[in-house]
Amino acid sequence: MVSDSVNTADNSANLSTAYIDQTPHKVVKKSTLWIVVLRSLLLQASFNYERMQAAGWLYGIMNVLKKIHQDKRDLAKSMRMHLEFFNTHPFLVNFIMGLVLAMEENKEDQSTIRSIKVATMGPLGGIGDALCWLTVLPILAGLGASMAMQGNPMGPIIFLILFNVFQFGVRIGLMNYGYYTGVRAISTMREQTKRISHAASIVALTVIGGLIASMIKLKLAWVIHVGQATVSIQDKVFDAIMPNLLPLCYTLIMFYLLKKSYSPVKLIGITIACGLIGKFIGLF
Amino acid sequence: MHVTLSQALLITLWAFIIGIDQFNGLFHIHRPLVTGLIIGLILGDLQTGLITGATLELIAMGMVPLAGAQPPNMVIGGIIGVSFAIISKLPPQAAVALAIPFAVAAQGCVTLIFTAFSPLMHKADQWADECNTKAIAWLNYFGLLTHGSFFALITFLPIYFGAAYAQQVVGAIPTWILGGLSVAGGMMPAIGFAMLLKIMLKKEYVAFLIIGFLLMTYFHISILGLAGIGAAIALYDFYANKNKEANNKKAKKEMHSGGI
Repeated sequence: MVSDSVNTADNSANLSTAYIDQTPHKVVKKSTLWIVVLRSLLLQASFNYERMQAAGWLYGIMNVLKKIHQDKRDLAKSMRMHLEFFNTHPFLVNFIMGLVLAMEENKEDQSTIRSIKVATMGPLGGIGDALCWLTVLPILAGLGASMAMQGNPMGPIIFLILFNVFQFGVRIGLMNYGYYTGVRAISTMREQTKRISHAASIVALTVIGGLIASMIKLKLAWVIHVGQATVSIQDKVFDAIMPNLLPLCYTLIMFYLLKKSYSPVKLIGITIACGLIGKFIGLF
Repeated sequence: MHVTLSQALLITLWAFIIGIDQFNGLFHIHRPLVTGLIIGLILGDLQTGLITGATLELIAMGMVPLAGAQPPNMVIGGIIGVSFAIISKLPPQAAVALAIPFAVAAQGCVTLIFTAFSPLMHKADQWADECNTKAIAWLNYFGLLTHGSFFALITFLPIYFGAAYAQQVVGAIPTWILGGLSVAGGMMPAIGFAMLLKIMLKKEYVAFLIIGFLLMTYFHISILGLAGIGAAIALYDFYANKNKEANNKKAKKEMHSGGI
C-alpha cells in the first residue's frame, strides 16, 4: 500500500512541469560562466535535422544543471527538456544560456523555461545571421583577402585575430548579460510565472509558425505533360492554393502521428523513405 | 609537382581540424583565406596559396549556412582549390571550377551526417532519463570525430590519388540517393517542430501558429520581425488580462462593501 502511493506520487511529479525540489540553488560563479562559454563551442557537435543543436546545447549547460539539481529526478527531467528541438545562432546562444541558467537555479517551472528558450532562439538566430555572417564576417574576410591577394601572409592572420576578438567579446559579454539580467528579472517573474509563460508561449508559437514556413524544404519537381505544354504541379497547383502548403501539411501529419503515439524514430524512417522513394520516381 | 605522402597527410590533418572548426569552435580557421596560407606553407608555394585562397574566399563569402540550409561546402572547396592550384599550376579560377564538384559532394556528406545523427537523439533521451551525463558528452565528442573524419577522407582521396580518380569515385554514387537524402533532410525539421507542438500547442495558441505561418508565407518577413509582432500581441494580452483581473478584484470588493 505504502509503496503504491509513493509510486503514484513519483509518477505524477514526473508528469508535472514543476521541479520536485523547489529550493533555489545558487551555484553559478564568474568562472562557471567562462566554462559554459568554452563548452558552448561544441553547440553543433551533434547537429542533426530532427533536433538541430539540442544535444550540443545540453552539453554546454549540463555540468551546471548537475550542480543545481541535486535530486536525480529533477536532473533527469531538466536534461530531457533541454534535449528538445533547439536552434539559434552559435555565438548569441550564450545569452539564452545565461537566462536559462538563472531560471534553472531559481527552479522555475519547466514550461516557463521552455517558452523562454523557444521565444528567444528564433529572433537571436536572425540577429546573429545578419550581424555575424552577413556583416562582420564579410568585412573582416574582405580585409584579409585584399591583403592576401597581394601575397601578404598577414592577411589571414589579421582576419583570424579580429574575428576571434569579436567572437569571444560577444560570447562572454552576452553570457554575463543574460545571466545577470535573468537573475534580476526573475524575482519579479516568480509572482507572475503563469502570465509570463502565457505571453512567451504566444511569441513562441508565432515563431514556430514562421519556422515551419521557412525552414522546412519540401517542393515537388513533378511535371505533367499536356500536349505541348508542361504543367508544374508545384507552381500551378500547390503554390496557387498556398505557398508552403506542403511543409505545413507534413508538419501536421507528423504532429498527428506523434499524437497517435508513433515514435519519433519511426517518423525519421518514414521521412527518409519518402525522400528516397520520391526522388527515385521523380516526385521531388 | 608531385605530392609526397607526408604532404598529403599534413593536408588531411588540416582537413580534419577545419572539418570540426566549421561547425564547432568556429575560430574560422576553416575559411579558404586561412587554408590558402596553411596549404601554401605545406606545399611550399606561399604566394599561389595566398592568392588562390583569397579568390576562393570571395566566392565563399556568399555561401554561408543560414538557417540550417547547406550551400556547396567551401571548406572542402578551399582545400581542393588551393591544393590543385599549386599542384597542377592552375590559375585560381580554373582551380575553383575543379573544386566545385567536391564542394557539392562534401555538402552531400554533411547532409548524410546530419541525417544519421537524428535517430541518436532518441538514445540521448534515454540517457537523459538515466542522468547519464557522460554518454551525452561522448555523443558530442563522437560528433566532432565524425565531422573531422569525413572531411579528412574527402580530402585525402583527391590529393593523393589525383582529382580524376577521385571524381570517378564521387560520380559512382547514384544521384537519386544523395538527392533523396537531401530531400529527407529538408523535411526532417517537421519532426522537431511537431514534437514542440505536441508539448506547447494548446487550443488558445493555434491562432498564433497560424498568424506566424501566414505572415512568413505571404510576406516573407524575417523571424525577428515575426517575433516582434508576437511580442506585441503578447504584451497586449499580458496587460489586458492584468487589467481584467484587477477589475474583477475591484468588482468583488465593491460587492462586498455594498453587502455590508
